[in-house]
Amino acid sequence: MQQSRARLFKEYKEVQREKSADPDIQLVCDDSNIFKWNALIKGPSETPFEGGVFQLAFSVPEQYPLQPPQVRFLTKIFHPNVHFKTGEICLDILKNAWSPAWTLQSVCRAIIALMAHPEPDSPLNCDSGNLLRSGDIRGYQSMARMYTRLAAMPKKG
Amino acid sequence: MMSDDEDMSYDDDEYPPYDDDDDQGDYDLEEAESSRGWDEDGGSGELVEFSLLSGRDIRARVDAAISEISSFLSVSNEAALVLLCKHGWNVSRIHEEWFSDEAKIRKSSGLTVPEDSSGGAEVRGKGTFFCGICLENYVHNNSINCSAVTAACGHVYCENCWRTYVNTAIIDGAGSLFLRCPEPSCRASVAGMINSLASDENRGKYEDHVLRSFVESKKTIKYCPAPGCEFAIECLIGDGSNCKVCDYEVTCNCSYRLCWNCSEEAHSPVDCETVAKWILKRNSEAENTNWILANTKPCPKCKKWIQKNQGCMHMTCPAPCKFEFCWLCTGPWSEHGEKTGGFYSCNVYQEAKRNCEYNEQERIREMAKNSLQRYTHYYERWNSNRLSRKKVMADLDELPARILDKLSDIHRLTKSELQIITDAWVQVAECRRVLMWSYAYGYYLPENYDQAKKKFFEYLQGEAEFTLEKLHSLVEEELLKHTEEGASSGEYLRLQNNVFYLTRNTRDYFQNLVRALANGLQS
Repeated sequence: MQQSRARLFKEYKEVQREKSADPDIQLVCDDSNIFKWNALIKGPSETPFEGGVFQLAFSVPEQYPLQPPQVRFLTKIFHPNVHFKTGEICLDILKNAWSPAWTLQSVCRAIIALMAHPEPDSPLNCDSGNLLRSGDIRGYQSMARMYTRLAAMPKKG
Repeated sequence: MMSDDEDMSYDDDEYPPYDDDDDQGDYDLEEAESSRGWDEDGGSGELVEFSLLSGRDIRARVDAAISEISSFLSVSNEAALVLLCKHGWNVSRIHEEWFSDEAKIRKSSGLTVPEDSSGGAEVRGKGTFFCGICLENYVHNNSINCSAVTAACGHVYCENCWRTYVNTAIIDGAGSLFLRCPEPSCRASVAGMINSLASDENRGKYEDHVLRSFVESKKTIKYCPAPGCEFAIECLIGDGSNCKVCDYEVTCNCSYRLCWNCSEEAHSPVDCETVAKWILKRNSEAENTNWILANTKPCPKCKKWIQKNQGCMHMTCPAPCKFEFCWLCTGPWSEHGEKTGGFYSCNVYQEAKRNCEYNEQERIREMAKNSLQRYTHYYERWNSNRLSRKKVMADLDELPARILDKLSDIHRLTKSELQIITDAWVQVAECRRVLMWSYAYGYYLPENYDQAKKKFFEYLQGEAEFTLEKLHSLVEEELLKHTEEGASSGEYLRLQNNVFYLTRNTRDYFQNLVRALANGLQS
């Protein structure tokens, strides 16, 4: 508990200091609870998520960093490795390939990389996975782009 | 390397076959051992051979594999261990892959090039460094918590974080055998650092992971399923085609007797498939109702609920009722003896249905067509024998202190005379086990099974059960009367003689039953 707090506080200070270091990621700690974080990440360019801003929710366990944080999308996203309803993410580093040398910041970077490079063979969203697996790239991209527009872009007045 | 004679070899042929001409005079102490095997037909020892492996024996094999790999490939022991775990302890496969593409197998196993032969952690003495786990900057000053520790791949973290990392992984499980450097982009194994970074307790756990990985990779070795037992059993099958159920039964060093084939407790004469079906059924139906049905019954006379806590089926309701009845059929015990000429019919389901004496029971038995009732009939008998056996096993442990010492003091008995009593108890335990499984066998006999065969089975089962009940009540109840001060030695010797012959009879009856089940009830 003490160790995870110390470590999270370090990450907190790092985030404050380098606020503009990574323009694609904006990490915010919950005011009252250092184990709850939120992040806004930009959809990577040249992907159907380009132009969208996606919100992630972090729930950090007391054994952090020995155990990975739980992360899910709050913004709806059409992606093979993200559960369409719950926003749960299937990413090896958040499960068995976790290492304590990952930080919340680097987890965000890994999630951005996952958005650009989906893994259709271990899908949480089967419809999305099937489109990619059957080679229907255009179908996948247009679905993903539609949901990016619907859910991850500011509504035009 | 271990030599074969270190194994405790369990070969059925070691024990003399049961000799019918044996009389009390040259009673052989070793005969107690032969109660473990029912197969008079012999020859089975050649088909299946077992050896027991202690933790040390397994360790020796693990060490042999490690030193073979490390000396052939000139790598450290830790690197050899990683290769072995990664490749299912298949030494020849590692050789093959290593010599066809060393770089590839090194990479997939996370071995650095060139391999750090020291294999251990290196503590750097100078300068400052940043630990990527606790995110602290350190100036090296030799105090324990802020020493830099470098893995073979060159990545540095503080010693404290390394220790937590390694120890957590070991507690987490066997995944620690493949533990990698914490640096996300680095695939290097850090097995070489375990020894210096793990706590004493966790080093032991890591060792367990290693042994377990070895045993699980071998199809011929299985761990003894008894809780807390560290022994494993190796099975070498000559020709599996002719093996009988009992051939796979083996007694572990911890005295747990198991079927090696399915890892359940020994279950001859019933085959593994029937046992699996039965256990599945039992688990799905073992709700409270069944517990109550199987463990408690109202006294047939005073209707007080009674939980059976003694071994044999002869029940006596507590005072003031004192009604004696049979636990299985709840009929009066007086009708169960030979003298009254009453046939001991508790094993005959159909009989019980016809001969019922109580109206309430009649109603229940009428519902016997219902499959649950049928199951319950067999389950109760299966479970009664299981619990009875459990009790016998527990009593056996304290037999010397509770009974034998007293008997020996009062009646001045020799060791081999006392052995007769122990043998009888061992026989009762084994027979309870066989009888228990014979009820599972009975349950799975198809409804439309050859009636003659079914009758024959129930006849054999009934005979076996009858003698067993007699023997059981002799050694459980009668015997106690002779442990009191001033008991007559003449009467005791008569009882001892009875026990001896009854033990032999019981064994014969059960051998008949086992043999009949083994050859599909051909009379």
